[in-house]
Amino acid sequence: MSKHGPVRLIDAGTIPYLQSQTIYHAIAYAMTPETPDTAILVSPDTPYVCVGFHQEVEREVDLDYCQAHNIPVTRREVGGGAVLLDDNQIFTQWVFQPDHVPLKVVDRFAWHAAPIMATYKDFGVEASFRPINDIHVHGKKIGGMGAALIGNAEVVVSSLMLDFDTHTMAKVLKVPNEKFRDKVFQGLENYMTTLKKELGHVPDRTEVKQRYIRHMEETLQRPVEEGSLTPHEQTVLTELTERFSQKDWLFKKGGLVRDAVKIHGGVWIGETALKAPGGLIRITLRIRENTIDDLVISGDFTFYPQDQLAAFEQYLKGTSMDPAALKQAIEAFYAANAVQTPGIETEHWLEVFGQLREAVAKHS
Amino acid sequence: MSDVGIVRGCKIPKDLYYSVDDHTWVRVNDDGTVTVGMTDVAQNLAGPVLHAKVKKVGLTRAKGKPIGTVESAKWVGPIKTPVSGEIVEVNEKVTEDPQILNRDPYGEGWVVKMKPTNWDEEVKELVTGEEAIQKYLEKVEREDIKACEHIE
Repeated sequence: MSKHGPVRLIDAGTIPYLQSQTIYHAIAYAMTPETPDTAILVSPDTPYVCVGFHQEVEREVDLDYCQAHNIPVTRREVGGGAVLLDDNQIFTQWVFQPDHVPLKVVDRFAWHAAPIMATYKDFGVEASFRPINDIHVHGKKIGGMGAALIGNAEVVVSSLMLDFDTHTMAKVLKVPNEKFRDKVFQGLENYMTTLKKELGHVPDRTEVKQRYIRHMEETLQRPVEEGSLTPHEQTVLTELTERFSQKDWLFKKGGLVRDAVKIHGGVWIGETALKAPGGLIRITLRIRENTIDDLVISGDFTFYPQDQLAAFEQYLKGTSMDPAALKQAIEAFYAANAVQTPGIETEHWLEVFGQLREAVAKHS
Repeated sequence: MSDVGIVRGCKIPKDLYYSVDDHTWVRVNDDGTVTVGMTDVAQNLAGPVLHAKVKKVGLTRAKGKPIGTVESAKWVGPIKTPVSGEIVEVNEKVTEDPQILNRDPYGEGWVVKMKPTNWDEEVKELVTGEEAIQKYLEKVEREDIKACEHIE
């Protein structure tokens, strides 16, 4: 199929949640050299959680909460972390012939983001591309993207974010404790945005889609023509929907363990603990652009004078995560406040912060 | 390692066979099996691999079918076997330490050993030696693939 011919648009509307995932997988798996490049617009009819291809669902998702609140969980063949999806997001799914997409994955993200950002701008929302795969509005994330080679097709997916339920998102994630969950919620509230947040209302869905389609034509410099699934694609869709609903697909052992939660490309929430000679140190930390944005220190060690622990937390905010800067800040606070922490030395603090730095670096 | 060609900083050992489009290599072993892995160019395009999963021993795979999947920070994709055959051994280290694929793609980062079932025919579609270097040179220039970066 020509690189310059029409792109097939499948505006699938709002459909059962599993199909909203399996539709792009099906087109990808059914792809032959004759299949037109295809863009799908779709929303799920019920909120659900979707984990990344290699994630271990039991480690990532609070399955008890999801079950109690009738939130189904599935897995996609695209990477990344666990996300909450609902009908306030219009998913943009491009399934293209491999030689019709930019060769470099990072270029694919900028390419896929272009019509999404142009659509936001039509509504007066100044969206910009934040490499590698995020879209931001004044430093807040309004969407992310994923890419995968599925079957014989290169796939790039993202969404138009009308609104987002940060409260439920923070609830569905498996986290070490409720304090951590609060941090995730605050992180989502502070560092994520939506069209509703920016405009004060949800814009008309049809208009959003129409503008997006027009901008897609401009980006691709190809006509976009409405189409539908072929009978073969329908058959594959049915098969995949069956597979994606199976427990063994969901509980497939992943092995990709994430010990820090990404809010967006530059903001992470992490928690770690260290058994030092003077006791256990536990730190819950929000890191923004490699700087301590917020933190909670707990544990069973002695911090004297005790009322200085909160001041210590406060003092460390804004400090770089680089070991030299941390060392300097910790030593300066100890000296200025005559702090004593028997069995906890600067090196222990540096080690526990270092664990978090490594957890973030691993997934960046 | 024997004679190694360098294409934009990427290593291409001349004693291996390559499927240049799928970025995989094949080493012929003395016992009639072949070892299959990802090339240096592939690891470079993928970036640091976060997770890798390899298919199981005993599985028969046709040429072009996945023998595993890799996930880097931003992309998920299959490793497609350049030969048909039965998987007789898998490299468990790849699952335990996926960045071995970045660090040593032709050595410790091998993916599977296979007993090929159609080697005499399929080898004709692979390239080796100077021809492999030439094909890779053409590919990286045509597709403007960035110079290789190596993780220590």
